[in-house]
Amino acid sequence: MSTFTLLVNGEKHRIDADPGIPLLWALRDFLRLTGTKYGCGMGVCGACTVHEDGVPVRSCQIPLSATLGKTYTTIEGISADGTHPCQKAWLEEDVSQCGYCQAGMIMQAAALLRRKPQPTDQDIDSELSDHVCRCGTYQRMRRAIHRAAREVSQT
Amino acid sequence: MTATRREFLKAGTLAGAGLVIWLELPTSAAAQAAPIFEPSAYISITPDNVVRLWITRSEMGQGVRTTLPMMLNEELEADWAQIQYQQAMPGGHFKGIRLRTSGSGSTVGTYSALRKAGATAREMLIAAAAEKWNVPPSTCRAQQGKVIHSPSGRALTYGDLAQSAARQKVPDNPPLKNPKDFRVIGTRVKRTDGAPIVTGQATYGIDVRLPGMLCAVMARCPYLGGRLATFDAAKALATPGVRQVVPIKSGMAPGVAVVADHTWAALQGRDALHIDWDPGPHADFDSDRLLQQMEAALAQPGFFVRNDGDAPKAIQSCPRKLEATYEFPFQAHAPLEPMNCIADVRGNSCEIWVPTQAPERTQSEAARLLGIPEDSVQVHVTLLGGGFGRRLFVDYAVEAVELSRAIGHPVQLLWTRSDDMRFGYFHPNDLERIAGGLDESGRPLAWIQKSVGPDLSVIGLPSEKDLADPKYYFNDGSPWGSFDNPYNFPHLKADFVPLNSPVPTGPWRAVMYPPTVFARESFLDEMAHAAGQDPLEFRLHLLQPGDVLTVGYARIDRSRLLRVLQLAAEKADWKRPLAPTDGRLHGRGIACNVYDQDCYIAQVAEVSVGRQAGDIRVHRVVCAVDCGLVINPAGLEGQAESGIIWGLSATLHGRIDFKNGAAVQENFHDFEVIRMNESPAVETYIVPSEHPPGGFGETAVPPIAPAVANAIFAATGKRIRRLPIAPEKLKA
Ligand code: FES
Ligand code: FES
Repeated sequence: MSTFTLLVNGEKHRIDADPGIPLLWALRDFLRLTGTKYGCGMGVCGACTVHEDGVPVRSCQIPLSATLGKTYTTIEGISADGTHPCQKAWLEEDVSQCGYCQAGMIMQAAALLRRKPQPTDQDIDSELSDHVCRCGTYQRMRRAIHRAAREVSQT
Repeated sequence: MTATRREFLKAGTLAGAGLVIWLELPTSAAAQAAPIFEPSAYISITPDNVVRLWITRSEMGQGVRTTLPMMLNEELEADWAQIQYQQAMPGGHFKGIRLRTSGSGSTVGTYSALRKAGATAREMLIAAAAEKWNVPPSTCRAQQGKVIHSPSGRALTYGDLAQSAARQKVPDNPPLKNPKDFRVIGTRVKRTDGAPIVTGQATYGIDVRLPGMLCAVMARCPYLGGRLATFDAAKALATPGVRQVVPIKSGMAPGVAVVADHTWAALQGRDALHIDWDPGPHADFDSDRLLQQMEAALAQPGFFVRNDGDAPKAIQSCPRKLEATYEFPFQAHAPLEPMNCIADVRGNSCEIWVPTQAPERTQSEAARLLGIPEDSVQVHVTLLGGGFGRRLFVDYAVEAVELSRAIGHPVQLLWTRSDDMRFGYFHPNDLERIAGGLDESGRPLAWIQKSVGPDLSVIGLPSEKDLADPKYYFNDGSPWGSFDNPYNFPHLKADFVPLNSPVPTGPWRAVMYPPTVFARESFLDEMAHAAGQDPLEFRLHLLQPGDVLTVGYARIDRSRLLRVLQLAAEKADWKRPLAPTDGRLHGRGIACNVYDQDCYIAQVAEVSVGRQAGDIRVHRVVCAVDCGLVINPAGLEGQAESGIIWGLSATLHGRIDFKNGAAVQENFHDFEVIRMNESPAVETYIVPSEHPPGGFGETAVPPIAPAVANAIFAATGKRIRRLPIAPEKLKA
């Protein structure tokens, strides 16, 4: 057991836990931030994606011991009121089906747009293809990312 | 047995685009005296101006929380924003009312019943306003959540009227709109529950957190039909955070649960368990060997499925004969949210939070396990992170109940991805052999199809007595896709050889259609090419004169199938040759199907194949649909996209193998699914239809595999007869 200070969505949290516990479970079971999902536990589905210093990472693959001095953002913290361009575009394009994959998808897409405000279809393919949507909402997701990019470019 | 078996299968199908509600309309006497207005078991209107609709189906991505309110509001005329939904729970209010999320079942009654619920409430609200104003009800109208007195323009909200509406007489036959006056049904409406999903606030089963709740995972016996021999929990119990280790036997495989303060501790504890399993009778079960047995069984006579004319004799007389065998593997459901359940057993009662398609069964099986009345079990249905048929089974819920009883604590039992993938109720593997004959002028004369495969074990296999009836499977309408073959062959014979295995099998999106339709539509393509005809024209001829085919209980309107084939072909520019510029081999393929009599679908796929590597890309899928009246076209298109991706995953990647008595694949790295980079552009075209609505959640799945396989043939001249498609076979 060790004590960790975890910086998530602008707040500091003290956690007493095993250094090996993946960030995913620390978020879900200790901080009760359940928007970040468990899908595979081995880094192959993207459901658990969060931002680490602005970069998308798989929280199921990051032990608490590796979180020192890092800043994390989860789906709950990506906007104060659900108005991130991706969140809005996702609703406009009616993307979600079961919705379970969508938090991870939005976190990845948001990072893509920050890095590349006008992504091409190829950019979207290479950025999002480590994620699984078992409901197959890819076409609408692609549209939503282009829509969010248009909004970003206009503001 | 026959009716229940088919009912079960139908119930086992995935819900359609929200067209799934089934409800009766009990107009309770209690409503007369109630302070709130409850004109039926399903809605209430309260003085705070809220219209509440109890959703009697599980939301698993198909949009029931959107389409059910739409059907209600077509007649109710409330303000869309004032409608709230609440998930119905089995028992109590809903005792005897079906909550199971079912597919293509009685949609006509469903749709009518919700409309009637809305119309009843509307008429009572109007009567209440008329009484208050002392005017004839015929001078009042309902609009946007208000009753308006037309001559004077006076208005009262539904909230204002709720209490007095509750005292009005319940009308027997409230007037229903003429469908041409619909203003809600048939419009594009976005999901009502989208916002909590994109902000991470939506609560799936896995997200429920109760005060004092413990977390558990299980080690399950890796051998089909094996048992727990002995286990040593010492190391697991020494893991920090682990509280208890408990053997569990009520699920599909026996195992040992590790209970801990949090999920990670439970997972660590599970890794530290030492368990000896008794492998049982199927320790060497191997799906490749099963396949060999199935190949041998192709020589056996099967159960009667269809027998029109004299196909064996007709085929003898044909100058041109063809024969081919098609193979479909076991498949897993793998919804992205793995199985999980929270149970809290306290003495003689129990509360359950679970993402399930089968709330009543969860309640009754929990009650049975605990030996308590069903009323003492409360089941909260959460949001489902996908269902696809897997969540009709309640094994994971019953395990959680057994565990909570054993530890006397609320507990969440979580399945890992590997548990989820390896301990499923799989889509059975399947072989289809088809023989066809063409006469001198290339006209198709005869068709003989034999299906070999495990029956769906989970519904209970037929008894010897059942099987003494040679028409047992015919009466049942099995196998779908072969039984209801829509084409007009003068001679058509189909039979089925059930061959069982120890693998638990159950309904998987589109149930029996995927293998039979893959074979049927591929073989039609083979026949068309053998006859030197265009595969579209070949099909159109075989559906002439566009009459209604009656087979067993099924009535298939060939004119509707003709129409969707023509529409898909037109939208896909079927007649215009492709002009690729990327150096790859391109082709188009077509396939169609009738899903359980009500839904007609045709798809054209455009694919390309790498000349050297044989890699496959599906560029575009054009889909034409006639599934009767469409409630929400946006929802239907979503289900078309979803069904096509689902079917494409099975076409290009998915398979479950068994070796040494256990499933081999265990996560998304070895059970691959379609991802963004492989996702085609999907276009959906809807045939306007006055037929009653049909469920659409599964319809788009079956045709995609043959459409792609036929396109590959058009591109390369290589015929695909085994799924998933191996690109090595397409290498130069
Ligand atoms: S749960 Fe982390 S990538 Fe799947
Ligand atoms: S919406 Fe269901 S997994 Fe993506």
